[in-house]
Amino acid sequence: MTSTQKLPERHSIGQAMKRKEDPRFIRGKGRYLDDIVLPHMLYLALVHSPYPHARIKKINKDAAMAVPGVKAVITGEDLVAAKLGWLPTFHGFDNQMVLAIGKALYQYQEVAGVVATSREAAADGAELVEVEYEPLDPVVDPYQAKLDKIILRDDREAKTNHIYHWEVGEREKTDAAIAKSDVSIKQRILSPRCHPAPLEPCGCVSDMNGATGRLTVYMTSQAPHVHRTAFSLVTGIPEDKIHVISPDVGGGFGNKVPVYPGYVVATVASVILGVPVKWVESRTENLTTTGFARDYHMDVEIGATKAGKVTALKVTTTADHGAFDAAADPRKYPAGMFGIVTGSYDFPTAFAEVDAYFTNKAPGGIAYRCSFRVTEASYAIERAMDILAQKLGVDPVQLRRQNFVKKEQFPYPSPLGFVYDSGDYEATTKKALDMIGYDALRKEQAEKRKRGELMGIGVSTFTEIVGAGPGKHFDILGIKMFDSAEIRIHPTGSGIVRAGTRHQGQGHETTWAQIVAEELGLDPQELLVEEGDTDTAPYGLGTYASRSTPVAGGALALAARKIRDKARKIAAHLMEASEDDVEWKDYKFSLKGVPGKSVTMKEVAFAAYTNPAPDTEPGLEATYYYDPPNLTFPNGTYVAVVDVDADTGVVKVRRFLAVDDCGVVINPMIVEGQIHGGLAEGFAIAFMQEIKYDEGGNNLNTDFTEYLIPTAQETPHWETGSTVTPSPHHPIGAKGVGESPNVGSPQAFVNAVIDALSPYGVTHIDMPLTREKVWNAIHGAAPKA
Amino acid sequence: MNLEWSGQEQIKASKAKVWAFINDPAKVASCLPDLQSSDVKDAHNVDATVKVAVGPVRGSFKFAIALVPNADGSHMDLKISGGGFGSVVNLAAGADLTETSDGTTLDWKGSASVSGPVATIGGRVLDAQAHRVISTTFENVKNAVSQAA
Repeated sequence: MTSTQKLPERHSIGQAMKRKEDPRFIRGKGRYLDDIVLPHMLYLALVHSPYPHARIKKINKDAAMAVPGVKAVITGEDLVAAKLGWLPTFHGFDNQMVLAIGKALYQYQEVAGVVATSREAAADGAELVEVEYEPLDPVVDPYQAKLDKIILRDDREAKTNHIYHWEVGEREKTDAAIAKSDVSIKQRILSPRCHPAPLEPCGCVSDMNGATGRLTVYMTSQAPHVHRTAFSLVTGIPEDKIHVISPDVGGGFGNKVPVYPGYVVATVASVILGVPVKWVESRTENLTTTGFARDYHMDVEIGATKAGKVTALKVTTTADHGAFDAAADPRKYPAGMFGIVTGSYDFPTAFAEVDAYFTNKAPGGIAYRCSFRVTEASYAIERAMDILAQKLGVDPVQLRRQNFVKKEQFPYPSPLGFVYDSGDYEATTKKALDMIGYDALRKEQAEKRKRGELMGIGVSTFTEIVGAGPGKHFDILGIKMFDSAEIRIHPTGSGIVRAGTRHQGQGHETTWAQIVAEELGLDPQELLVEEGDTDTAPYGLGTYASRSTPVAGGALALAARKIRDKARKIAAHLMEASEDDVEWKDYKFSLKGVPGKSVTMKEVAFAAYTNPAPDTEPGLEATYYYDPPNLTFPNGTYVAVVDVDADTGVVKVRRFLAVDDCGVVINPMIVEGQIHGGLAEGFAIAFMQEIKYDEGGNNLNTDFTEYLIPTAQETPHWETGSTVTPSPHHPIGAKGVGESPNVGSPQAFVNAVIDALSPYGVTHIDMPLTREKVWNAIHGAAPKA
Repeated sequence: MNLEWSGQEQIKASKAKVWAFINDPAKVASCLPDLQSSDVKDAHNVDATVKVAVGPVRGSFKFAIALVPNADGSHMDLKISGGGFGSVVNLAAGADLTETSDGTTLDWKGSASVSGPVATIGGRVLDAQAHRVISTTFENVKNAVSQAA
């Protein structure tokens, strides 16, 4: 297993096939949630709290009900009466108000719902719901929350804003190692609150059929089966009476995993009124109420020898979870996979702890192409390694290479409890340095520095942890995080492939077909992939956290192999041979030792229906539920080259190279597209995006004039490369790639800017690196003589 | 979001005339820029509907205005509360009157707290806009009293 191994030419895997889903998307023929219009459908609009923290004294519905077309006004008290006032959050540690009950806990929290015959009438009605508030002092900062002077959640037994303490590793040993290290660094590093802002916001159409008692919910869902189970558990409606359909989804990035109040209120309204009810949120509602990302304040300490060998890592994190603990982490891992914070480096000892707090802000935390806090962890270690390099006065790439987990150390048990499956960090890094011309860039930088020009080179050599996950460790609502596939091959050799995942732009309709085609020697163009309908798809946990290929991808390959096993019997029957003499070679069944004697899978498929083998069940289909034995650990080396204008603080990203190792690549074009998209997001996070609240708890980034999405004009040109280190435990050796570019890139940009500013003694600036912050960093300190 | 401003107007009218003017809720309301309608409740209270444009937020805000004069006729507190678009605006202004050789000096101070979309969407322009509204109001008071004088 070498990371640059040349793979044999394959039938389907590794082919840069054009995406099968694109013709309908680029021609405007997709069917998104808001395209769904049902007869007699009503519209829901939500009323939001202007206050971040306020007691609700009275809600008067009269004026809203008087608006022509308004059919119902629903409040938190109404939902309490229906026993639907509160929802369990996904890991089950907290409950979340559907509509505000007694108190509003963050600005824009949903307070009431207005249902009307048109979207406009619902909005007019929402404007006229009179809510009498008694404003309370807000808590807008986790360090303020820690003081417990204002307790936000009087519904909870524990009268504290502290949610949980979680720790992993060896505290005393780590403290001792840092204390006696030759060199140590300590830096508070903020991974700021940001938001995935998918282009399509969240929404649903809930349709309770009073005659059949069956509830159909069309919803923007990354995890339709989990949502079906959650709906059943919360409402008491039997699960067979709930049908969740996730139509085409216009981007998710983790934002479409949680259950939001709009889904519940629309469903309650449909039950009460007996007609379908549609809820589609506005951009502002999406940015202010739905799952945000990050908000981790991390105190990072590294100890090292004078020679640059790291000896210990300690990370103490204060997490801002907002008003409810709705971070959708697996039950055993309240801080997700933050234990990946040792990154690609071989720390002899490490310790990480996270304390999470309630604040008067929107709830969430797990989103934005971030596999359960991996992004925060990766940012912390990659930033801190640069700070250490700066302190030691050594090249940051050299420091990294010196401390890499070596190829021969895999499977590598990390000091914080994970077993890394495979990797060759040195090979990935060498490829990146060669491609970018690292030494020449350093020379150029030295010359520019002599002329007073600010050029910076930033590197990130990150390791990801994805593919949740082994059912023994990971769950949502108690459901183990396996995934599933069902394959049906038709008599003529085409087929339908269904999986428990739900793509939102990842290209599953193409890559799933490629996996199955590879295993069965069929044409990927003749394999229809279907996801998102709980009536037809096998039960799965959904698409997020880069888990589709590591988990459902495994299920697909193994379901296909089950088909192949059965097909072998049919092939033996067709060739009038013993099954033991039939081998699968060159994508067809051949008779051992009889050259030229073979049957194709298409021929087998036809026989499965027309001439099945004796004592064999007719038909050709299989289902597989795959519980992976371990997570997968993709890695990458990213290099950013920037020029900084000292007079204006403007940063120009001159070059950016991403060399990724995501194991076996199914479709290189799709992987490249994923990387481009994720890098654009990483660029935005590094330079543009933050959800900020003022001291009064006002959310200051509520639409696209204040929360910026990079356009083609700002987005740099991306260069990409790859190395291939297959995952040893995955059926096809794949590791997943969707999140790598977002996890790996922000620190490369920031490291590059800090590198450019290092002549001024700058060691750290928190993201986003706006022009103002960069300018202030330059002009706050005079250049060293 | 909390904002504070202050200013001064020189009014060519006697202190008594200025005092009488700012004690009349209908007259005070008439000095609000972009006033759409007003409804005098009693000697000290008036409801006013004002056209507001803060950044992309455009429409009508409803305010309840309360006048709180002090006993010696030299200081007036104004409390203005209301809002629109799911936003809440609370303004407090105080005006001190001083007799001068050729009229009256009106020194004013104002502060506002704002919650909701107006604070968030209009954040960058809110300070300037609110300052304009309050300073224009006192300027209108000056012009109205001066004309009447």
